[in-house]
Amino acid sequence: MKRLLFALLIVAVLFAGCSGKAASGKPKIGAAIYKFDDTFMSYVRNSITENAKDKAEVEVVDSQNAQPTQNDQVDAFLSKKMNAIAINPVDRTAAASIIEKAKAKKTPVVFFNREPLAEDMGKWDKVYYVGAKAEQSGTMQGQIVVDYWKANAAADKNKDGKIQYIMLKGEPGHQDAELRTQFSIKAVTDAGIAVDKLAEDTAMWDRPKAFDKMKAYLAAYKDKIEVVFCNNDDMALGAIEALKAEGYFAGKKQIVVVGVDATAPALQALEEGTLLGTVLNDAKNQGKATFDLAYALAKGEDVAKAGWEITDGKYVWVPYQMVTKDNYKNFK
Amino acid sequence: MPKPSAAVETTANASLARRKAVADFSVKYAIYIVFMILIVGIAIKEPTFLSLTNFRNILSMSATRIIIALGVGGILISGGTDLSAGRQVGFAAVLSASLLQFQEYARRMYPNMPDLPLWLPIVGAIAACALFGLLNGAIIAYLKVPPFIATLGSMVAVYGVTSIYFDRPPYGAQPIGGLRKDFTNLGSGFVGFNDVWSIPFIVIIAIVIAVAVWVLHNKTRFGKNIYAIGGNPEAAKVSGVPVNKNLLLVYAFAGALYGLAGTLEAARTGGATNNYGNGYELDAIAACVVGGVSTSGGIGTVPGMLVGVLIFSIINYGLTFINMNPYWQQIIKGAIIIAAVALDIRKYLAKR
Repeated sequence: MKRLLFALLIVAVLFAGCSGKAASGKPKIGAAIYKFDDTFMSYVRNSITENAKDKAEVEVVDSQNAQPTQNDQVDAFLSKKMNAIAINPVDRTAAASIIEKAKAKKTPVVFFNREPLAEDMGKWDKVYYVGAKAEQSGTMQGQIVVDYWKANAAADKNKDGKIQYIMLKGEPGHQDAELRTQFSIKAVTDAGIAVDKLAEDTAMWDRPKAFDKMKAYLAAYKDKIEVVFCNNDDMALGAIEALKAEGYFAGKKQIVVVGVDATAPALQALEEGTLLGTVLNDAKNQGKATFDLAYALAKGEDVAKAGWEITDGKYVWVPYQMVTKDNYKNFK
Repeated sequence: MPKPSAAVETTANASLARRKAVADFSVKYAIYIVFMILIVGIAIKEPTFLSLTNFRNILSMSATRIIIALGVGGILISGGTDLSAGRQVGFAAVLSASLLQFQEYARRMYPNMPDLPLWLPIVGAIAACALFGLLNGAIIAYLKVPPFIATLGSMVAVYGVTSIYFDRPPYGAQPIGGLRKDFTNLGSGFVGFNDVWSIPFIVIIAIVIAVAVWVLHNKTRFGKNIYAIGGNPEAAKVSGVPVNKNLLLVYAFAGALYGLAGTLEAARTGGATNNYGNGYELDAIAACVVGGVSTSGGIGTVPGMLVGVLIFSIINYGLTFINMNPYWQQIIKGAIIIAAVALDIRKYLAKR
């Protein structure tokens, strides 16, 4: 009997701690990140928690790259009566069931970084999305190469007027990987420059894998390679490390490498002149926009006054930014 | 292939015997035959594959894998397994990289730390992983948790430890870059004339470690003990082998090797994240198995492990070199693992 009472007491305490607004009177927001060890998402996560300081109580959880885990976490958020939830879906098609759950509990949802399908977004009016247009990252990456190519005749090593390139892709089927691959090359060809694809392979966003692939390509194509496109900075840095080992970047042996993300090590590489350019997926502002929207929704305020331009009543698009040697210092 | 009975064998004609000899030969050396077919196939598709540069590249990308495989190999011989190898590599990479960033780098993990002597973080990472290994060994030896489960648990837990260390102030989770030149030089430097006629440091380290492990396995009591434990733990115990002590040692030693491999991986690629090493344990186990190490213990050699690692490196490197579709590369790797073990197991089935 004593034990039962004790158990009940614990349950009561737990529930007391979880009901409605926090003791501090600040609104409570639950945020689920698809995977904590994704470098970019950890920047977004840091930004959300920084912006939440003194304003709201944010509980951030790791969905460990498993949609079932995330669904359980959403259930937990809803049963804890969060005032709003911010979800970075593992699988974008899973948004439908999350929206239904949230709607049933009248808890507004802000999705971020992975865009749910349009028909799902239309299921309820308290559903928003914060993200970047993935194709823009590819377009800007291509633009950096175009600008350099036009300004530096030496970049065309064999003087055939075409860009011979290697493409190091992220995880196959990943939306960002496919769009960056497609739109970076499209930007180059749209600018009137012909291309020759020497090779394209996945290095799974991973630095050591990119390093090993690049070694093999260097042995296979030697000086024929003029540009190395990488879907992210980690892979670009792996490729650069392999290129350095073959004597590139010292003296006349130059090659163009571009990435996406503008991570701290990438900015260092820009400074050293090994990386030509990268594209910033603006994690700070994505995190801020996500928080600002969730905060406004949690307090029941007008989302339009949260400080972000809202497209089609539901979408906040945070633009990418080109980062090169000229402006990298602004991003440190 | 059914085994002919003794009566049939005596009456069998010479051609049957010859056929059997060929079959025996191909079973015995199957893995080397596969190895040769691979190289010949790649070389036919792309004759420039047979060059010193490629040979050197394959060796240097094998170096860290060899060190990891030698650790896992010892554990497999002792009848265990180690799923935490990859995550331990990741921990060592992050730890050593975080302590070896150069002063001018804008986002150092320890902004005000003076330069440490190069050996200190490396030894630290090796010691930390040896400790993880010791813990694995203790859980297996004293708590009697099956190795698969024990190391599955520590795989998850070590990743947690790495992530806590990795994701913290002042800058939070972000790739660790800006590694000191003396450190990256360990991964990319070499002894010799130029970048073709030379031996990379990491290859030398891998060779030294391989020789040391060979001596350990073949010339010491510890080595004989782990083969005995893997072959038949009951018999080993009865004949006075201190089973628990040897288990502790074999896991701790493997941990130390992962620690070394992790620091070299960071040095080689010039950075680290908490996701480094992910999946390396399976690569290492696959390499050992392809190299003839038995997953049920008691069987395996150092040269076998080396060949196993090299086969996978050649697949990875060679198929990228000839620009083969990456999805096909996966299918080929999978098929080789299964084929190698299926053929290898026949050697031992025939003996019984």
